[in-house]
Amino acid sequence: MASGETYFRHSLRVNTDLCQGCTTCMRTCPTGAIRIRNGKAIVSDNKCVDCGECMKVCPHKAIYIAQDDFALLENYQYRVCLVSTTFIGQFEEKYKTRAIYSCLKKLGFTHIFEVEHEVSHMIELYNRYMDAHPEIETFISPYCPAVTRLIQVRFPSLVDNVIHVRAPLELASRVITKRLMDEGISRDSIGVFYVTPCAAKIAAVKYPVSGKETYVSGVINMDFLYNKVLLMLHDSDKSAQPINHALTTRDVLWPLSGGEAPHFKGAHYAVDGLRNVLNFLERLEDENVDAPGLVEMRICDQGCVGGVLCTQNRFVARKRLEYRAKLFDRLERSKLRETSSEDAPLTEDLVDVMTIPEIKPRSILKLNDDFREAFKMAERMKKIENALPGVNCSACGAPSCAALAEDIVRGEATIDTCIFINRHSQASEDAIRSIWGDRVKTKKNT
Amino acid sequence: MHYTFTIERGNFTDAGQASSSVKRTLKQLGVDPVNIKRTVVALFEAEINAVAHAYGGTIDVDIDGEKIVMVVADEGPGIPNLDLAMQEGWSTASPQVREMGYGAGMGLPNIKKNTDDLKIDTQVGVGTTVTMTVYLT
Repeated sequence: MASGETYFRHSLRVNTDLCQGCTTCMRTCPTGAIRIRNGKAIVSDNKCVDCGECMKVCPHKAIYIAQDDFALLENYQYRVCLVSTTFIGQFEEKYKTRAIYSCLKKLGFTHIFEVEHEVSHMIELYNRYMDAHPEIETFISPYCPAVTRLIQVRFPSLVDNVIHVRAPLELASRVITKRLMDEGISRDSIGVFYVTPCAAKIAAVKYPVSGKETYVSGVINMDFLYNKVLLMLHDSDKSAQPINHALTTRDVLWPLSGGEAPHFKGAHYAVDGLRNVLNFLERLEDENVDAPGLVEMRICDQGCVGGVLCTQNRFVARKRLEYRAKLFDRLERSKLRETSSEDAPLTEDLVDVMTIPEIKPRSILKLNDDFREAFKMAERMKKIENALPGVNCSACGAPSCAALAEDIVRGEATIDTCIFINRHSQASEDAIRSIWGDRVKTKKNT
Repeated sequence: MHYTFTIERGNFTDAGQASSSVKRTLKQLGVDPVNIKRTVVALFEAEINAVAHAYGGTIDVDIDGEKIVMVVADEGPGIPNLDLAMQEGWSTASPQVREMGYGAGMGLPNIKKNTDDLKIDTQVGVGTTVTMTVYLT
């Protein structure tokens, strides 16, 4: 970066023992954040948006998400498992929600609280924000933290279209903490542990865009907890206490793609999947799509059930959640449902806590802060790109010829790394030419 | 910096490629988002005009240290009444084009609104050349 300042931090890590430098992740990354150096993938902090696509495609399982030590639970007398319904969707329908929660308690949690408890408050927060900004036509849901960061780095002109409200887990963690404190428990003895389906949500907790305090004490990877619970479920006791089903159908389906949009005024666009999100953001930026009201966007296909830490197939998990949502609906209609957040008003201090003061544009495309300098660099880049073969072989350690050209003008690479240009012998030139034909320019021309 | 694109008659699928490409360069230059938006909207409108009304043509884009000049030149049929075409809501678009969501008669007025300088040379039976300038700094 021109400024040299690091303003994003991440939980995605590369295990250099396992990484083969195969370039698969580098070619997939939507922000061009990955390069191969010394045979291993390295990730640029300021370009990475924690979408997790690299981890999904890595054939060597060399990319992982650093989670908090489970032993951290021991530091707290009261241990809340803050869980999304996405987690419940991982389990077969034959397992009752209460049995799953009972396993979580056996693992050491004293309380279970669903993030989706706060959906009605989230709706109110979104609506308040939209009502307060009549000058904005299209609002982008802040639900998926990877989308917000993607907008910051690649679509900086759209930062003000993102609803400036923090993630629901921030509200839920605060609500449950306050509830316990009202019972006379001191805040120091309460640990809230969020079960995450993806890398983006960890990053959002640990390094929030809002810069505000979090009530989440630790983050646990969903696959880790899934494995532990599944082993216990087989011999779970049938005597598990019934739980208060405070969620509605709407709440249960919230993490799925299409879970949010229908509950707001607007064209009800629900965009999911990385490529689709990129494409839609391009169109929004060009004002090339008529999308009044709220646009929901999730980086993962099908929404959170497509998260990289979900063990089950996303379509299977979706079906399971839809099945469970129907059960919850029946409970709701039979008035068995306990009180939910809808009965408690959204207080002004919660509104304040949940508001993001500013989402800063963090363009990674800008070549230089000085326009004239940027112009010179862009001209040079275009010339270099024309000299490169355009086959995007990635052998130089950059994802494409265009990316190498950019690295060169930024002073981060040299043109010698191009194997097409840097041919040492007639034999190697012939070998490359046998694959790529006339695209290999003769040495004196390059 | 110079860019050239070709326009194919009736190909709405590819329309927008020129504006996307130009947008990327302007982002690299760190041009103010407001000016990027104006440029992209104007270029896209001109591109659509040429796709919807003309028999194909070319787009030439020149970016220098202070401005971007975009020339969209098509091969006919030309605009019979330019004053009418500049009016909001006036359109000669075919029902098919309208069905695709275009042809609302906002093309040229929108281009005028989003550019600092607009020049239209048109001759019926020969073609139309639209020259648009946006100052970047």
